[in-house]
Amino acid sequence: MPGVASDTAINGGALIPFSDDTDHSLPVYPLNHGLTAPISRLAISWSHGNSLRVSIFAAEPSRSSDSQSCGGKVLEVKLGGGDPEITDAYLRRIAYGSVSPFALLQSRRSEVSALLKAPSPYQLDWWEHVLEYSKEITSLLGGPKLSPCAIIEDPNEIVKKGEEPTCLKAAWELMEIFYADKQSQAWLPERLVEWLAGYDSLFTSTQETIHGKLVNFQKDLVNIQVIEDDPRYWEAMSSALSVGWLDIVVKMLRLHGSYQLDQLSNRELENGLVEAVAVLISKMPRLRPESPAGNLGECFKSKPDFTKAWERWRSQITKLDCSPFWIQCDNHQTREGLRNMLQIMLGKTENLSKATCYWLELYISHFLYIRPFTMGMESMYNLAQKCIQLKPPSSTHRLTGLMIGIIGENTEVVLAECSREFGPWMVAHAIELLTAGSEHAEILLHDENYNLGGISIVELHRLVYAQVLSSHALTWQIAPIYLTACMKQGMGLLENLLYRQPVQHNDLLLKNIEICRLYELDNISSNIMKVAGVYHWKHGHKGAGVFWLQQAQDATRLNRIAQQLFDSVGKSISDESFKQWEGVIELLGSESKPAGGLEFLHKYRDFKKSLQQVSGGKSSDAARQATVSLIMLMKNPSTPQRFWLPLLYDSLKLLNWKDGPLLNVCETNLLLNKVEELSLAKLRPDFIEPNVPGEAIRSIRLALATNLGRAILEE
Amino acid sequence: MAKELLSFNNDTTCSSWNYSSTRLASGSTDGSLSIFDFIHPSSSSSLRSSFNSKIHEGPIVKVVWVPPEYGDAVACVTADGIVSLWEEVAHDSQPLQWKNFKIFRCGLSKVLDVQFGSLTTLKMVAAYSDGHVRVYELLDPLELKNWQLQAEFQNVVESVSAFGKALCLSASISWNPQKGGSQEPNFIIGFNSNTAELNSSKVWEFDQAHQRWLPVAELALPEDKGDQVYAVAWAPNIGRSYETIAVATHKGLGIWNLGLNPDHDGRLPLERVALLSGHEGMVWQMEWDMSGMTLATTGHDGMVRLWQSNLNGVWHQQAALEPTS
Repeated sequence: MPGVASDTAINGGALIPFSDDTDHSLPVYPLNHGLTAPISRLAISWSHGNSLRVSIFAAEPSRSSDSQSCGGKVLEVKLGGGDPEITDAYLRRIAYGSVSPFALLQSRRSEVSALLKAPSPYQLDWWEHVLEYSKEITSLLGGPKLSPCAIIEDPNEIVKKGEEPTCLKAAWELMEIFYADKQSQAWLPERLVEWLAGYDSLFTSTQETIHGKLVNFQKDLVNIQVIEDDPRYWEAMSSALSVGWLDIVVKMLRLHGSYQLDQLSNRELENGLVEAVAVLISKMPRLRPESPAGNLGECFKSKPDFTKAWERWRSQITKLDCSPFWIQCDNHQTREGLRNMLQIMLGKTENLSKATCYWLELYISHFLYIRPFTMGMESMYNLAQKCIQLKPPSSTHRLTGLMIGIIGENTEVVLAECSREFGPWMVAHAIELLTAGSEHAEILLHDENYNLGGISIVELHRLVYAQVLSSHALTWQIAPIYLTACMKQGMGLLENLLYRQPVQHNDLLLKNIEICRLYELDNISSNIMKVAGVYHWKHGHKGAGVFWLQQAQDATRLNRIAQQLFDSVGKSISDESFKQWEGVIELLGSESKPAGGLEFLHKYRDFKKSLQQVSGGKSSDAARQATVSLIMLMKNPSTPQRFWLPLLYDSLKLLNWKDGPLLNVCETNLLLNKVEELSLAKLRPDFIEPNVPGEAIRSIRLALATNLGRAILEE
Repeated sequence: MAKELLSFNNDTTCSSWNYSSTRLASGSTDGSLSIFDFIHPSSSSSLRSSFNSKIHEGPIVKVVWVPPEYGDAVACVTADGIVSLWEEVAHDSQPLQWKNFKIFRCGLSKVLDVQFGSLTTLKMVAAYSDGHVRVYELLDPLELKNWQLQAEFQNVVESVSAFGKALCLSASISWNPQKGGSQEPNFIIGFNSNTAELNSSKVWEFDQAHQRWLPVAELALPEDKGDQVYAVAWAPNIGRSYETIAVATHKGLGIWNLGLNPDHDGRLPLERVALLSGHEGMVWQMEWDMSGMTLATTGHDGMVRLWQSNLNGVWHQQAALEPTS
């Protein structure tokens, strides 16, 4: 059991990590609308993802002052504001970059699970995959940049200016060190030393730091005449030494006045002492595989080797400390400064405490000079508590909060800190590191939780992150990657997300349909196409409308469209609308048989076409063709009875053809019979009065009779 | 943090976004309806008016979009309780225009709220000032003019209960936002009236076998049944084994979990998991986000409040937005 979550965890269980809800008081954010009149009402609506749109309506429009006054505003608020340190564009770059490492890790997870036939990928070399993932993310958060100063060596430059580090990267690396990088567990303290060296500057925002001290000293360096007489020189060096920045210390030592050529002869002894300390510093044994090229200190991989070297080194320091030369050194500042540094190297708590600025630096100095073998989380945690007691923090930095959570082995706190301080991207991705960390965390984070609606904490944070992604037009399309990694509710959210995408633009529509196809969301896909079909149909793009409705296989609406086409039968319609009408029939017909009565519509279209040609010129061929179509229509049982009269009425011209009868006796009789049938049908109650002039039937009869007479004569 | 999208004309009283949050409809006291569209549809830049016309003599109090499967259309509820349906269409190679397709009126009683639900057919539930609920059904999926009254009932559990003439000030309807699926259509409705029996919010479900609407749950504790309901909101369910519904009364904001499987009486098991206070008075509107995890509310105190459940299932107010000039 994870146990009862601490207060912080409850607070941090927030789904939307608002930036500064560190205390329990409710965060209230101002919504600046700039309206002068008082507000009468608000209306709210969720847009995509986490963006909320608020309509604000003014109460009494101030008609008197100016007619231009505004009756209200619509504001859009993006909730779950990100890291203030990181710009939106940069965050988007990170979001895009982290997709492929995340997806790769997920696919590996399912491979491993399939192999083990167990859901837990913990064990084996799983952490190696996680580490690889972590490294890729780290490189995304900004790689080390070779500063130009490293090429052109400036003897006075103490602190190198590299790429500005970010808290996000520092936090990520911290989690990598503790959770993912199992290989380096043996030299964890050294990794922390390295970590602080890279990120100490970040703490300058909330407290004094050694980095800040060095930067300030460097600024004044040009104005200092005799460097070794300045107490700040010694202070800066002992501070840098206390956290193990050996290169900086040695470089600073070499700025000592006794090294200057004109001074060398009369300050031989002093210079010898300075150099001795410098040599000792540069020979400091370190328990780590190797240090970055050129860094000082001697590295030892194995503990016994290290212990041996450490003992020897310490004895050398003690020897130098007890050396009679100190008495002979007449420069007080140098003597005291150097001996203080020796005390630091000998691990005197008092000196370390004085040299460091805040508890984390003191903590790191303990690893270097007092307890290089500190192992196990419990002793690390106790040590941290001790350091915090010695140097109580005036304010908490977000990185120290995370650090305490990690060494306190409190997964909930770590998650809460990540979520609150670094936002949804961090949690969704760092949770992979956490679960690789321990079986306990794995169980806690993957357990399905009734309170969360039956999902695990891992899934919850992925959903939250996906929702953040879907708030922006440029990132919503990567949300499905995270949603499909959610077993239980990811698909549901993806469906909602896709359903809410606009359909007016074909490229976006096609993209959405592609996503549906990819994840087998046929239901949503057909719904999207239905919406698109209706949109186009109603907005005058009949062709596109029919096309999308056919894609959606929406038989109901297609049938309705076919029914609407019937309405045009027998009516005189303009060339333009006939063309459109004809086009729709063509489209409807291209599918096998989505709508009834299409056969009739096709034949009717052929008939209507030749009839138009007839009225255009006097071509007998066209008239003959039209007649053939007419007979076919009248013979066909699929031709609805209600269209007989309009059809015949339309054909009056054919029946009265001047150049001779177009119908033979048999055909004429067929039509006469139909007219007879119509007269009978008129008596039935369900008869629909066709939209033709009253005398139509009489003129048709007359025309048919004339035609019959002429046909008999011809035959 | 907040970005301005639009300034309304004087007299604007209500607004509503369509399904994709790309179009905004607004109504005014002078009876005009306006539609706004984004200038660049892909980015949420600024909006411009694409339609504005006086459609009614009296004020418009509510605008509701019709589901997109039935076109780009809105229902406007006026202060005198009439509902008119307006749709953007292009007929026979004429340019696009907004046209009125249907007007719903009902004698002396006024429509207080309407909401559309769409499963197999489009249904419109309307709540009336006399406490009646009417469900209309669209007959032709391509034409918004042909509607049929499918059912009419009062928002009471026992249909035999007798009470005097009801007078309702407001009502709130929320459909179960499920899409597709095999579930029967259902919605929740609550009234703010002088008649206790009508008030409490009840879930109504369509019984296919008997072709009638049945109350399957009453979202009020026994002692709260007469409480006037200000607003209801049914949360989207992306995979929970229960539904979540928010109900606002003068006692506060109730969050209810509703089981999916009815008991032998046909009632759905339910539990009030939270009663939250914040707005101190009338709640105007409640909206769930797309995951159903965050509830946004507005009310008489002029604030927007956001509510969430934490990892332990405890609901609480997460943040508030305060309009300032």
